[in-house]
Amino acid sequence: MTAQAYDAPALDDLLWVADEVWHALLGEEEGLDRLDHPRDMSGGPVETVWSAGVSISGTWQGNVTVELGTTAAVALTARMLALGPGEAVADADLADAIGELVNMIGGNVKSLMPGPSMLSLPMVAAGRAAHSSDSVEALRFDAAWRGEPIRFSVHVPRS
Amino acid sequence: MRAMIIDDSRTMRSILRRIVTDLDFEASEAGDGQEALDQLESGADLPDLCLIDWNMPVMDGYTFITRVRQNPEWRQITLMMVTTESEQSNIVRALAAGAHEYVIKPFTADAIAEKLELLGLTAAVVA
Repeated sequence: MTAQAYDAPALDDLLWVADEVWHALLGEEEGLDRLDHPRDMSGGPVETVWSAGVSISGTWQGNVTVELGTTAAVALTARMLALGPGEAVADADLADAIGELVNMIGGNVKSLMPGPSMLSLPMVAAGRAAHSSDSVEALRFDAAWRGEPIRFSVHVPRS
Repeated sequence: MRAMIIDDSRTMRSILRRIVTDLDFEASEAGDGQEALDQLESGADLPDLCLIDWNMPVMDGYTFITRVRQNPEWRQITLMMVTTESEQSNIVRALAAGAHEYVIKPFTADAIAEKLELLGLTAAVVA
């Protein structure tokens, strides 16, 4: 976790939001496990990671990002779309599902911060998230779902 | 009864479709407010219920509600916002514009069922 030197939600609040979204989408039996020693998500080929982000603009400004491995992204999409075991997950479906995931997390982060503000439509990419050079990571936590790493982060303008 | 699900996310439409069909609704879908208006204007059977996201391309959910409420022939349609937009001022704005209920994402199937029951649209219980 990055030291919280910038105006950002509290880590516990981000954890709570992620848990709420996870349980609502996947059911109470599916939880996120907090990782104190996160796995490096940057070492593999770009195709092995997906990222999704939303930006919040207004009284408070920031970007909320979710990054996860393709295995987790495919499994998450299959659960959200209630696909059967043999049904393939198309890239478009995967992008839509993790876009909706970050939309919900970003919307709830927005509600924690001073308003009024606007939430952008989600942006999804195959690969690690890209951030503006004038932003800084204010908050991050790493979790695992079904043993696969997932990273949640909040970036804010560099002050 | 018929429900129209208006959300730019296919995933969210799929989740809501499962919930409302479990409650014995026939479901249709639209990817934004304009597409939903086009369906209403097409002459097809009107939905009893619209589940509406706020933040969508082309036409957002708030604009859709104001447009629906401008047409007296659509007065009987129940409008329920289902959205991540949770600022109090916007919730009040949507309700003042004509939304009957407001659900903030994430939600559970039970939460949707309870809201619909309160609106008198279903007595079914989600298992």
